[in-house]
Amino acid sequence: MRTVRIWINKEGRARYISHLDLNRCFARAVRRAGLKLWYTEGFNPHPYLNFLTPLSLGQESETEPLDIKIESGTTDSEIFESLSHILPEGITIKRVCEPICPASEIAAAEYKAVLEFESAEKAASFIDISRRAISSGTLFAEKHGKKGKKKAAKKINVCDGVLFFDAADDGKDVRLKMTLSAGNTSSLNPSLLLSALENESGIKADFSLIRRIRLLKADGTDFE
Amino acid sequence: MLSKKTEKILRDVQKPGRYTGGELNSVIKDKNGIKIRFAFCFPDSYEIGMSHIGMKILYSLINERADSWCERVFAPWIDMEERMRAEGLPLYALESGDAVKDFDIIGFTLQYELCYTNMLNMLDLAGLPVRSGDREALTPLVIAGGPCVCNAEPVSEFVDIFLPGEGEEVTNELIDLLVEHKEKGAGKSEFLRAAAKIEGVYVPSLYDVSYNGDGTVSAVTPRRGAPAKIKKRVVKDLDKMYFPDSFVVPSIEVIHDRTAAEIFRGCIRGCRFCQAGFICRPVREKSPETINRQCKNICASTGYDEISLCSLSSSDYTGMEELLELLISWTDSEKTNVALPSLRADNFSKELTEKLAGVRKSSLTFAPEAGTQRLRDAINKNITEDEMLAAARQAFAGGWTSVKLYFMIGLPTETAKDIEGIADLAQKITDEFYANPDRPKGKSVSISLSVASFVPKPFTPFQWEPQDTLSQLLQKQELLRSLIKTKKVSLSFHKTQASLLEAVFARGDRRLCDVIEAAWRGGCRFDGWDEMFRFDVWDRAFEECSLSMEFYANRRRRFDETLPWDHMDYGINKRFLEKENEKSRKGAVTPHCRVSCAGCGADKLNGGECHAHGKNLDK
Repeated sequence: MRTVRIWINKEGRARYISHLDLNRCFARAVRRAGLKLWYTEGFNPHPYLNFLTPLSLGQESETEPLDIKIESGTTDSEIFESLSHILPEGITIKRVCEPICPASEIAAAEYKAVLEFESAEKAASFIDISRRAISSGTLFAEKHGKKGKKKAAKKINVCDGVLFFDAADDGKDVRLKMTLSAGNTSSLNPSLLLSALENESGIKADFSLIRRIRLLKADGTDFE
Repeated sequence: MLSKKTEKILRDVQKPGRYTGGELNSVIKDKNGIKIRFAFCFPDSYEIGMSHIGMKILYSLINERADSWCERVFAPWIDMEERMRAEGLPLYALESGDAVKDFDIIGFTLQYELCYTNMLNMLDLAGLPVRSGDREALTPLVIAGGPCVCNAEPVSEFVDIFLPGEGEEVTNELIDLLVEHKEKGAGKSEFLRAAAKIEGVYVPSLYDVSYNGDGTVSAVTPRRGAPAKIKKRVVKDLDKMYFPDSFVVPSIEVIHDRTAAEIFRGCIRGCRFCQAGFICRPVREKSPETINRQCKNICASTGYDEISLCSLSSSDYTGMEELLELLISWTDSEKTNVALPSLRADNFSKELTEKLAGVRKSSLTFAPEAGTQRLRDAINKNITEDEMLAAARQAFAGGWTSVKLYFMIGLPTETAKDIEGIADLAQKITDEFYANPDRPKGKSVSISLSVASFVPKPFTPFQWEPQDTLSQLLQKQELLRSLIKTKKVSLSFHKTQASLLEAVFARGDRRLCDVIEAAWRGGCRFDGWDEMFRFDVWDRAFEECSLSMEFYANRRRRFDETLPWDHMDYGINKRFLEKENEKSRKGAVTPHCRVSCAGCGADKLNGGECHAHGKNLDK
């Protein structure tokens, strides 16, 4: 048995597939590919499949790592070939390799986002207010979480999770580049940041598309 | 291929994956060279529709044609509908994202009566008039198939063509005819007249219905050369019948997400309440080799790790042992689960349990339907208490710990004693679990009783019977609830008002079209969903149309009454159903078809062939 890291893109229609559903999709894809998965040895054997950084519904990514455990004997390129043409539209395999970093080393993620506004004026003032809010260091948002089994809303300062933020206008559109904390210890969802900014500015985008482009370690180098 | 408009809407709705398409194995074609665009519509949510095997078969069958492209359409859930209407986004097909109103054929499958308002709503969301008479052009042509079509009168003014029976052959014949008529520029009425000449095509607008003073049907008169009786279609040889090599694999979780394979059609049993058991006759089996090959293909192309063997009564399949052997030879090593729904308790053999015990366990379901032997005899559910207890014992010995039991209340001739019998039987099965010395330690047994209200259906011996009134049904539910005293037995009931409406539409006539339209305009849709069901709106709709639910649901019909579906020929002789009805009142049983042929008449649909004894034995 060995662990393999599969890097995938998730874009277009596939971004409406939730994290749990994506897990199921891959479990099936791996079966279709005829790969010999390693099964857990419990009472109810199941395959080991783990997306390291769950992506929110509606977001795209060009850098999703998935770890699977397979029985030895299959090469990385065989895995790449066999999975390449049997996935839902919008999901593509970028590469297959040995995991280099342990999942716990993921510390941040870089995102691009495009927001479309009604007018160029609204776009410009959104940028203004956003910049000011981020540099002030305090911007609160309600995060929905769980306390035990109960649902609980938690007030958090989103600025704590913003490592880099840049906004540029492009007519009625706003283009954002953001590096946000990610990983197991603290993680900021870009959607939460955007809705906090929308609240703060009182200007709502007609449409927005967020895309994860890199995963980083604490020292700023690529997570591999 | 989602439009920007659609994308904007999707961020405001629950489960956007229902509306995106792009699933594995969905079929995308080049529109050039396509003569027929076919929108296969399932009038319920994506999760329900994507679980339906008939849709999978016909989807692939149509897409095998180079000249046609079949796409899928489901009823958008309320939140999506609201946004679509607000933004002016018409109903679109999942594969291309193109508007349904521009398709050539819009085909609905009518699986249950409570989806009728969804069909109207989907036509309206597409931007089409809901009434057939208001759609003047040849296309889009609105067609419908499925079990409800055996009495389609309550929706006959909305649909252009019904396809009673099995769709595998007639669908292609109809598409051929439409291609021809489109090419020569024919009008809708010319096409409909030509279509009515195909066996298994019912064009309701070619029939006039007249009524007696008391509201019963006086006559159904064909016009312009339409046949007096419309014969349902059956496929003769299931081994030669088309079956797809792949299913569209939903990316989001749906109800039944697995490989499904039919093992035979029809039923040898003749339970008197069961419509499927009569309208799907004659019995035709698929060979174990064919089923095994098809399951293997589907598993390979989908990656599913579960196979469900479907039929009306799986353990009656004569090739079961052979089939399981073939399947288990590869499913075991691939860790694929084989599920066997619709088992009968009387021939649930020990070997079968053992074979199935090798794969993962799903829960076990039996359908005694009635609580006492007397009532089981009256409904011809030929199964004894001893057989059920023996089956439960075997199941428990095989490691099962949960059993689901299906019952009905409101059956003809039922008394309080029969209701008590349900509680008694549940208790006896619980006792059976604890009598097993090898039962899994530390595990409790769980018995769930699912109790439906009896709905009399066309083409059954009970088609003349009144349904219990709402208050009678509620009283019986109350009685049963008071008799269940242990937490090991859980009890769930179907909504009685929904069963009442089902009974109305199952045996309804054309006048109900107005009621359905009024209720839909009043806001009814997804009537099969408890949280969406609005009985008050239905009540008002009946009042507006001066019709009563009681007339349709709670009235005993005489044998000589002309029934609204008498012009439909499902092979079953009416005289046979009358005899069965009389026997039921005497509590007399009819042996199943393998013991002796009861002479229902359905074999004539298949050139006199019926596989009641298994495919090979009968030849």
